[in-house]
Amino acid sequence: MLETGEGEPFVMTKKEKFELVENFIMENREAHYRLAYSYVRNKENALDIVQDAILKALKSIDRLEELTYMKTWFYRIVVNTAIDFIRKHRRVTVMDDDILNIHLPALKDDMIDMDLQEAVDLLPTKYKSVIILRFFEDLKIDEIAEITGENVNTIKTRLYAALKKLRIEIGEEFRL
Amino acid sequence: MKKMNKLKKDHDEIVIPPELEDVVKASIRQAKASQKKRPFLKQWTIGAAAAAALFIGSINISPSFAQAMANVPLLGAIVDVFTAQQLTVDEKTYQANVDTPAIEGLADEGLQASLNEKYLEENKVLFEQFQQEVTEMEKAGGGHLGIDTGYEVKTDTDQLLSIARYEVNTVGSSSTTMKYDTIDKQNSILITLPSLFKDDKYVDAISSYVVGEMERQMDADEDISYFLNSEFFEDFETIQADQSFYITDNNKLVISFDKYEVAPGYMGVVTFSIPTEVIAEYLVSDLYIN
Repeated sequence: MLETGEGEPFVMTKKEKFELVENFIMENREAHYRLAYSYVRNKENALDIVQDAILKALKSIDRLEELTYMKTWFYRIVVNTAIDFIRKHRRVTVMDDDILNIHLPALKDDMIDMDLQEAVDLLPTKYKSVIILRFFEDLKIDEIAEITGENVNTIKTRLYAALKKLRIEIGEEFRL
Repeated sequence: MKKMNKLKKDHDEIVIPPELEDVVKASIRQAKASQKKRPFLKQWTIGAAAAAALFIGSINISPSFAQAMANVPLLGAIVDVFTAQQLTVDEKTYQANVDTPAIEGLADEGLQASLNEKYLEENKVLFEQFQQEVTEMEKAGGGHLGIDTGYEVKTDTDQLLSIARYEVNTVGSSSTTMKYDTIDKQNSILITLPSLFKDDKYVDAISSYVVGEMERQMDADEDISYFLNSEFFEDFETIQADQSFYITDNNKLVISFDKYEVAPGYMGVVTFSIPTEVIAEYLVSDLYIN
């Protein structure tokens, strides 16, 4: 991973910046794929989202001003691309699931966690995003706020609301 | 919280497909390629639009100038294709630039009118579709959308006129399609690919040449790739009987494939110039191609 001083602006050529971002994208591709996958739960669509996000990011590379924001900047693009994708393909996705459920035999091992996974999948995207980013990607609240463009308190409220919807008790050992 | 931890574990175990690495690499390459090509296309478009505007301006301002242009034999050929209609939308996240060509001075006015009508109609449909998509996107909360169509005169000789019309759709990544019309100006004939040949043997002849050429190019340069022996895409096997084509000003046949048709997106629209000896025995005559 890249390390740089807090708030240090880019003092490098555009080419060097492009290479840094390119390396970051290459090194973290699996995390980005998983993030995209958790929104669409489908390999092809997740790959499409990763591809789109990379193109968008490299095209708008000028908007990334500080290296320290590279991770949240790229996550934001992936998340927005995924949400855009879901919005555009909403009807298709529902159809796919229905058809799959008819044809696929239910796997016993999956059944145990089916309810919670399904509940997460069914959450409205703004709640889904906080759950995915906080618990699956282990991001901090302020990073999530940065990615989604909301303030910290909104994210906290959303996280509590989302967990409530999922009927999950937050254990003492866990700090939001 | 235990259940959530299990979900997190499931998340970490999401299977990474083997093609991810290729997709990521190809996307980076595509972004690089479009970075390099963009300024060139823009300059070219601005230049062409300015030139077209100048011509139309002059024609509109002075009917006698237009008359004079048509009567000067040398310049008559230049005024053959001009921009008939320009539709533009330029908002922050929505961009449309739809240029429609029109042909003038063809002896067969019926053919000329039908081509011009086709160009207008196609672009009208595109523009309306774009507006509709923008409306839908606005309702859904906004997004990015772009369309850019225009044309290029590929060939303009005493005998032949080839016009290429391109259409670039941008939604995240972009797709490009190219359409060509080749006209025999002297005999007022719209030339189709099958009409050039005695029978359909040309399909196999051209296809096997293209496959060989793809292999040769891929061996020579590792940055070039086509859908041949690829794991994840349908391989290219044969051209369509009415594959896109145009004829160059030195009478060579060029076969064209849209973006994504036979190669990954970063390759863009790809064309293959077919050596005449490959197809000579199937040609009806050597009038257009030799």
